[in-house]
Amino acid sequence: MSIWNYVVTAHKPTNVTHSCVGNFTSPQELNLIIAKCTRIEIHLLTPQGLQPMLDVPIYGRIATLELFRPHGEAQDFLFIATERYKFCVLQWDAESSELITRAMGDVSDRIGRPTDNGQIGIIDPDCRLIGLHLYDGLFKVIPFDNKGQLKEAFNIRLEELQVLDIKFLYGCAKPTIVVLYQDNKDARHVKTYEVALKDKDFVEGPWSQNNLDNGADLLIPVPPPLCGVLIIGEETIVYCSANAFKAIPIRPSITKAYGRVDADGSRYLLGDHAGLLHLLVITHEKEKVTGLKIELLGETSIASTISYLDNAVVYIGSSYGDSQLIKLNLQPDAKGSYVEVLERYVNLGPIVDFCVVDLERQGQGQVVTCSGAYKDGSLRIVRNGIGINEQASVELQGIKGMWSLRSSTDDPFDTFLVVSFISETRILAMNLEDELEETEIEGFCSQTQTLFCHDAIYNQLVQVTSGSVRLVSSTSRELRNEWKSPPGYSVNVATANASQVLLATGGGHLVYLEIGDGILTEVKHAQLEYEISCLDINPIGENPSYSQIAAVGMWTDISVRIFSLPDLNLITKEHLGGEIIPRSVLLCAFEGISYLLCALGDGHLLNFLLNMKTGELTDRKKVSLGTQPITLRTFSSKNTTHVFAASDRPTVIYSSNKKLLYSNVNLKEVSHMCPFNSAAFPDSLAIAKEGELTIGTIDDIQKLHIRSIPLGEHPRRICHQEQSRTFAICSLKNQSCAEESEMHFVRLLDDQTFEFISTYPLDTFEYGCSILSCSFSDDSNVYYCVGTAYVLPEENEPTKGRILVFIVEDGKLQLIAEKETKGAVYSLNAFNGKLLAAINQKIQLYKWMLRDDGTRELQSECGHHGHILALYVQTRGDFIVVGDLMKSISLLIYKHEEGAIEERARDYNANWMSAVEILDDDIYLGAENNFNLFTVRKNSEGATDEERGRLEVVGEYHLGEFVNRFRHGSLVMRLPDSDVGQIPTVIFGTVNGVIGVIASLPHEQYLFLEKLQTNLRKVIKGVGGLNHEQWRSFNNEKKTVDAKNFLDGDLIESFLDLSRTRMDEISKTMNVSVEELCKRVEELTRLH
Amino acid sequence: MEASSSQPQPSDSNQTASSFLANLPSRGLFTSAAFSPNQGGMRVYICEHDTSPPEDQLIKTNQQNILIRSLTLKKQKGDPSSKDVKGATVADRKRTAERILETRTPAKRANCQTSSQQEGSNSRAAERDFHSLTVERLRALLKEKGLSPKGKKACIGNYLNSVLLFLFFCQAYPVLFVNGPR
Repeated sequence: MSIWNYVVTAHKPTNVTHSCVGNFTSPQELNLIIAKCTRIEIHLLTPQGLQPMLDVPIYGRIATLELFRPHGEAQDFLFIATERYKFCVLQWDAESSELITRAMGDVSDRIGRPTDNGQIGIIDPDCRLIGLHLYDGLFKVIPFDNKGQLKEAFNIRLEELQVLDIKFLYGCAKPTIVVLYQDNKDARHVKTYEVALKDKDFVEGPWSQNNLDNGADLLIPVPPPLCGVLIIGEETIVYCSANAFKAIPIRPSITKAYGRVDADGSRYLLGDHAGLLHLLVITHEKEKVTGLKIELLGETSIASTISYLDNAVVYIGSSYGDSQLIKLNLQPDAKGSYVEVLERYVNLGPIVDFCVVDLERQGQGQVVTCSGAYKDGSLRIVRNGIGINEQASVELQGIKGMWSLRSSTDDPFDTFLVVSFISETRILAMNLEDELEETEIEGFCSQTQTLFCHDAIYNQLVQVTSGSVRLVSSTSRELRNEWKSPPGYSVNVATANASQVLLATGGGHLVYLEIGDGILTEVKHAQLEYEISCLDINPIGENPSYSQIAAVGMWTDISVRIFSLPDLNLITKEHLGGEIIPRSVLLCAFEGISYLLCALGDGHLLNFLLNMKTGELTDRKKVSLGTQPITLRTFSSKNTTHVFAASDRPTVIYSSNKKLLYSNVNLKEVSHMCPFNSAAFPDSLAIAKEGELTIGTIDDIQKLHIRSIPLGEHPRRICHQEQSRTFAICSLKNQSCAEESEMHFVRLLDDQTFEFISTYPLDTFEYGCSILSCSFSDDSNVYYCVGTAYVLPEENEPTKGRILVFIVEDGKLQLIAEKETKGAVYSLNAFNGKLLAAINQKIQLYKWMLRDDGTRELQSECGHHGHILALYVQTRGDFIVVGDLMKSISLLIYKHEEGAIEERARDYNANWMSAVEILDDDIYLGAENNFNLFTVRKNSEGATDEERGRLEVVGEYHLGEFVNRFRHGSLVMRLPDSDVGQIPTVIFGTVNGVIGVIASLPHEQYLFLEKLQTNLRKVIKGVGGLNHEQWRSFNNEKKTVDAKNFLDGDLIESFLDLSRTRMDEISKTMNVSVEELCKRVEELTRLH
Repeated sequence: MEASSSQPQPSDSNQTASSFLANLPSRGLFTSAAFSPNQGGMRVYICEHDTSPPEDQLIKTNQQNILIRSLTLKKQKGDPSSKDVKGATVADRKRTAERILETRTPAKRANCQTSSQQEGSNSRAAERDFHSLTVERLRALLKEKGLSPKGKKACIGNYLNSVLLFLFFCQAYPVLFVNGPR
């Protein structure tokens, strides 16, 4: 790999951190707005359900998200503050469908200690000010003027240093905050302050309450008429106001999120750490609070945010499991739960670990993640591309074409499958047992190759062979009419729809026929100057059985032409350039837009926008799908039309957001495809592969496919063993009883069914920290090695651990050897036929020794001290790269002769590492806890020892995501002969559920894309006025420097979403054609 | 609403939860029988328009030190209200000082006395230092500062204290005090 890296998101963040409901997009429309760390999603609430509107990338990690309504406004504004101390106020402009920046600013202070308990951003219910608590001891106020405009912000000193929560109180003449804090004796209290805007200071508030529940962590302000505040503790809930104090005990739980149900604030939904949903009711008489009541409603995902939507439907946003849309039923179900889950929204976060495997052995990587936490833990199998699920298959050699036919025009299902070979045509049909068997259509000519088949109007079928066009009744199956090609000319290519046939014979003759009831009429004939290579008359106009235009691909001048029908007048001629002839053309319409697709003989695909009225072709784009000729065919799935491009790299072309997308299919090589929608196999496809005919159903049309394996416990480490076809995971299960008892396991799973097949329980207090599948020198067996730590409550750092060596025998984990260690085994690596372990501050190498009695044991060989905690280790040859808890990356070398490990070089920055990976011999990649990525380079040519002992930082980038793991590999099928296939990639997984790809580019391509990125920054603006360059700048407590040697692939790939005029602008400044830019960016999108 | 008028709860707890769940707010959304939670895909927003905020809405934080700001604010507050009867005790000490500096007339000395009685314990500590000085020494100090060396010791002590504090800020932040004592 190289130092020039391209970072792109393959799976967007799915961890829901915030949500709110309000009239954002219009005064009449109710919206649900969801924050997923670096993105916000805007949904519309409709009688039919939740309708997604917009997915907005934000150049920052969202710290607070609030909707508010300034005075005199008809709809809500959105306030967003980011973790890097920027804020913005957004307004929706319904006319242009744009997010308008109403205000923005930087709220950082030069001095001040960032709060430990997270940033707090709140808005006064009467919209007099925005309050921010970002630094200990400071409360920042951004006042509104009476027109709803923001004024200069100022800080107020806040006496309380350990603030847990701050909220604005309702119904106060002066803006009043209530502060929940902890004193230096760890007791918790609440206090109120009035904000005197004129004096820019606090005035002692109306009341305070000392010595609350020791676990009090959350304040819920109660709106008028009750006012006051609810203080949610771990054992009690308290209602507090100037003149009332009510408390109820609760079952011990940690409340993570709340959602207000009623506008008057009498009911609240509370979600706790175990995913239990409670209803909290404030009982009151008039405006006097009489008491509190709490009721358990049922179980959901562990909520991080709860938004009551409408009509008993509630959105549960989760960081630890799938987010949900639930309905609260009046009557409990059989299990006593009032909660009914209507919909689950996939969340991969937190991805704690993952591995890249090729389970189906198709040369395509799949990512299996340890996702979720606690009871919502799961494994997720993430696969790129669209899967074909095989239903039936037969061996058939030499298929030249396939078409499905119906037995009558209004039959909803296909009956016949016509399969054409070089010198014969066979017809297959579903029999009564739902089996495919060979049958006959008497009227068809079966002794020759079929060029085209189609259903025709009046219950007829049409077959085109090189000698004739045959019209056959689909009921009697007898020939009704035949058009014979003129003597000396044979039909080369043909196409048809329900009422038209277009064919081309040698010599450039184009013949147009129309189908009548039992009659074929030659309507028009045209002589073109060259031979015709392909044709299409797929009707995409208003009439579904008649096309007004025909697309024709030509030899010799390499062009596509659009002819009008029925008069065969040339409307448009488009030269394709190059020397590769078009092999397949297709007229198609997606999302109301008409396209002409034209596939070339070398695996390239051109697409044009087609004006149906004028026949004009515009917006030409070129992509490379494979290397072999492509055959294009439409099919439908879930009532939407898509295109299947059969080639050496089969691809489905579909449209999303009025943009064409290409998704590869998990098949190796497909020569022909036709939709085959039979009663037994509805919505299926017939696919001709080498020597095989397969009937299969197709997955939902989307780029990434995620399969969930819920575990009910928290998986922390995963690894795959090819030989035993198993996965092994380290997991922990929280016992359901109230005590904090955790059980840790090593579990063995089948790699196809993902069922637990064997379990090895670890000791009490023993955590599984690392897992590895490896073999040792002089031993042909493959083992699972597990590193553990005894985490004792009285110890700061574990001082004892174990390395366990298992073998899989008869689907069982058999413990072969165990070795006690003097600390936690944070990492295990196979290393020169030995086992390399990272144990607390030490790197230790173990030999696999055969004892006299024939058993095996691990024997310590050598080690290396000098780390704070060696958490992440990667090896390559004799080199060992260590990611330390707080001392960045260091490079060690194993010296065979001396049997010793020595330090070669280190990065002297104080980075707190979260993952490391070796890119190549000299370049190492690291991720650290301030959400940055960086690369360092070994300096072998340094003149002095000092220089050689220093790892030079060569790349820096702010990812905005906490990376837990890097792995070499790819999510997409690699074609050895495509450009993209040569680009090495690393996959990463993050806490927010992001799966990303880091690709090392050749320098020339990097420079080109860097230029494109610079130009895109000028055109694509950050929402809310946030700046892309600042967002991607490397940032930690010590420094902020511009990103270098990393490119933001998400920005670069959004080039494809730009309007044509913007593309033209960029093309002009770059001096590169739009077509070329699109092609190069499109290629990059195929990295993930 | 049922919840708000809830009587002592029935013994059956399920009954309670059900009754609490009655009358959940509804505005007619999510009501269709053909409820389909997922409707189509989501458009990814590409922001091509200028997103910089209106000129005056690029919000910055007041960089003034909190202490200085509060002092300044109190001064500003003090100016127009110099004729008013004092309400807030905190502001008094400074206001008094300013007033004396402005007027330097014995007529105001009464004011000075009254306010000194209202002083908080804070200033009292500083005051004590002046109590240890002789009247002669205080008068000399006042002369040095170019102020009227008249008045009783108790009053002068307090007066000087405020003056010194005031002078300190004049030196530290001259811009704030364009109309200083001189």
